[in-house]
Amino acid sequence: MTKNDRWLVWLFLAPAVVLVAVLMYYPMLGTVIESFYSTSFINPDPKFVGLEVYRRIFSQQEFGQIVVNSLLWTMGVVLLQNVLGFFSALLLNQHLPGQGLMRALVLLPWVLPGVVAAIIWRFMYDPQLGLINSFLISLGVSDTGMAWLADTDTAMLSAIVAAVWKGFPFSTVVFLAALQNVDEEQVEAAIIDGAGPLRRLVDIVLPSIREVAMINLVLTTILTFNYFDMIWVLTRGGPQNATHIFPTKIYDLGFGQFRFGDAAVYGVFSILVLVLLIALYFAIQRSSRPRVARA
Amino acid sequence: MKRTLLAATAIGFSTGAALAQDQVTIRFWDNQQTESGLSEYQRAAVERFEAENPDINVEVTTIPYPEYQQRLLTAVQGGNAPDVSSLDQIWMGAFAEAGAVVPLDEMAAEANVSADAFFPGAWESAIYKDQLWGIPFNVDVWFFSFYNKALFEEAGIDPQSTVTWEGLRAAAEELTGDGRYGIGLFAHRGEDTVVVLNSFIFSNGGRVLNEEGSCALTEPQAVEALEYLASLAPYAPQGILNASSGSMRELFLNGSLAMEFWPALEQPTLKNSDLDWDFVVGHAPEGKTPVGAYGGWNLAIYESSPNKEAAWRFIQFMTREDVNGDVVDLIPANVAAAESFLEENRVGPDRIMEHLNNAKPRPLSPRYLEISDIQVTLAQDIYSGMDAAEAAEKACGAIDGLN
Repeated sequence: MTKNDRWLVWLFLAPAVVLVAVLMYYPMLGTVIESFYSTSFINPDPKFVGLEVYRRIFSQQEFGQIVVNSLLWTMGVVLLQNVLGFFSALLLNQHLPGQGLMRALVLLPWVLPGVVAAIIWRFMYDPQLGLINSFLISLGVSDTGMAWLADTDTAMLSAIVAAVWKGFPFSTVVFLAALQNVDEEQVEAAIIDGAGPLRRLVDIVLPSIREVAMINLVLTTILTFNYFDMIWVLTRGGPQNATHIFPTKIYDLGFGQFRFGDAAVYGVFSILVLVLLIALYFAIQRSSRPRVARA
Repeated sequence: MKRTLLAATAIGFSTGAALAQDQVTIRFWDNQQTESGLSEYQRAAVERFEAENPDINVEVTTIPYPEYQQRLLTAVQGGNAPDVSSLDQIWMGAFAEAGAVVPLDEMAAEANVSADAFFPGAWESAIYKDQLWGIPFNVDVWFFSFYNKALFEEAGIDPQSTVTWEGLRAAAEELTGDGRYGIGLFAHRGEDTVVVLNSFIFSNGGRVLNEEGSCALTEPQAVEALEYLASLAPYAPQGILNASSGSMRELFLNGSLAMEFWPALEQPTLKNSDLDWDFVVGHAPEGKTPVGAYGGWNLAIYESSPNKEAAWRFIQFMTREDVNGDVVDLIPANVAAAESFLEENRVGPDRIMEHLNNAKPRPLSPRYLEISDIQVTLAQDIYSGMDAAEAAEKACGAIDGLN
């Protein structure tokens, strides 16, 4: 590459770099700086307080609850979404009749806007008019149904189920692409050697899609940790904070209560978690490169 | 003659140039809470204003209620606030404290705009630290209790008996059963939860903050009101903690809910239904008068506005008796405009007027939104079975901890 080429590369990159710097890194840096100041809408002149806001927020019981909620939410959604996504991908990879139609249908929840999906689920969970309760009552499982989203014991699980329904097609598509790249010759050789479906799955399929699965897990973890609309529409973080996670809390503090400094602290914590997850994503991607090259 | 013509032409040109130079455009933001065609009415009123004030153009932006707070806050923070906008009564303290809006005392005094023309609680909601920060634009009161006439007749209950707490509880109990519910309660994270909670507290002589600005929810009147509300829970549809006044609407309209709390704004929706309904004016213990919590919006001028004088003329116009009723979807804050508006648009105008005159605003604190959030938690605590005194103690700890 000549010196001129290098300039040209930077010239082409410049618009993207400027946009990312202005729209992403500048606000992110601003958030980190703001977290060291005591600032809110009613205190437009920020006062530097160092780690004081961090100390106050970390000492609140609410912060611990939001960390636990975020862990439960993220792990629950990611695990169930990927398990469901993997098995749907296996099913769609069986060359069954009507496979094209099935693949299109499976994608439907994913292409629905998040808010629409959340509203549909809110109606389904409605204690009096919802489909879920009327189904349970018609089966005789329950006399009166349950207030799924109003009970601290069931609200998070209900939100997780809705998010899994919305998100599993993403995992299905990724797993399906990976399954279609599994070496057919290896599978056929295993069949000739008498390996059953389970053996083929464990010894051939899973090792072949390991990297893709890992990347899928990390990607869905990032997306789920940042997932705002499902919980906001279903519960607004309630009841009694039982479903508040980082994005809903940040929104609530910043726009609901005008507490920008407190929102910034939650934002910084959120950024740190995401940076770790993104680093993990790149590490996995890098470790998978030599294998791809050998293939 | 030639000189006169030249002079006249010169004056004509200079006046035209001056007009072009003095022409200002102000940006007005408002929010829309119902599908009432508000933005069209406002545009028609703006045309009238522009005809009366040819030197001022008005750009109207109507934003749906759920997005309004966020859009306004972002605009103020980004230095792109409109010249004039409606502000929720509960935001006045914060916007004033932040220096985002300007005091209007001098302009109001010069223009003879005074409290007399408006509902007392509405005027009070625009005063913070003894200064006037907005002019009341529209108002409403939570605590009109709408009831399904057929269900009450079927149960043989006189709806008027529910104006006392004892009567309401007895009626709610009687009306509950066979898939029907006596009263709709809600405690989701929203302001409707807080206004109903406050209406019961106010109706028992209680308050949220005392004169010093400290939490008053542990006072006996407030705790009694909380205990009373919790005692109604068995007669409400399950799922109170995630229910809103909106989610109760479906149940009321399909005939499975006998009574629900809404502002008078609910009337247009109910009028469009087949339901036979009416309302009573709140509930209070025997011998006390029901006091609702005020809701509504004030018009304010932003500090960043380069056209404050034009904005002030626009505010005067929008709150005028002959205009106010045409540009709001709640109730006009101008009392004279409200009288004719209610006569024309609402069932029971006299009852509504009486309630508007009795109502109390929510605490005028710059930290109101945080107080409101704590009150939502308080409501969720009592409906979850926590002892009312203990829940109030917890809420007061949080409110007093804000300072």
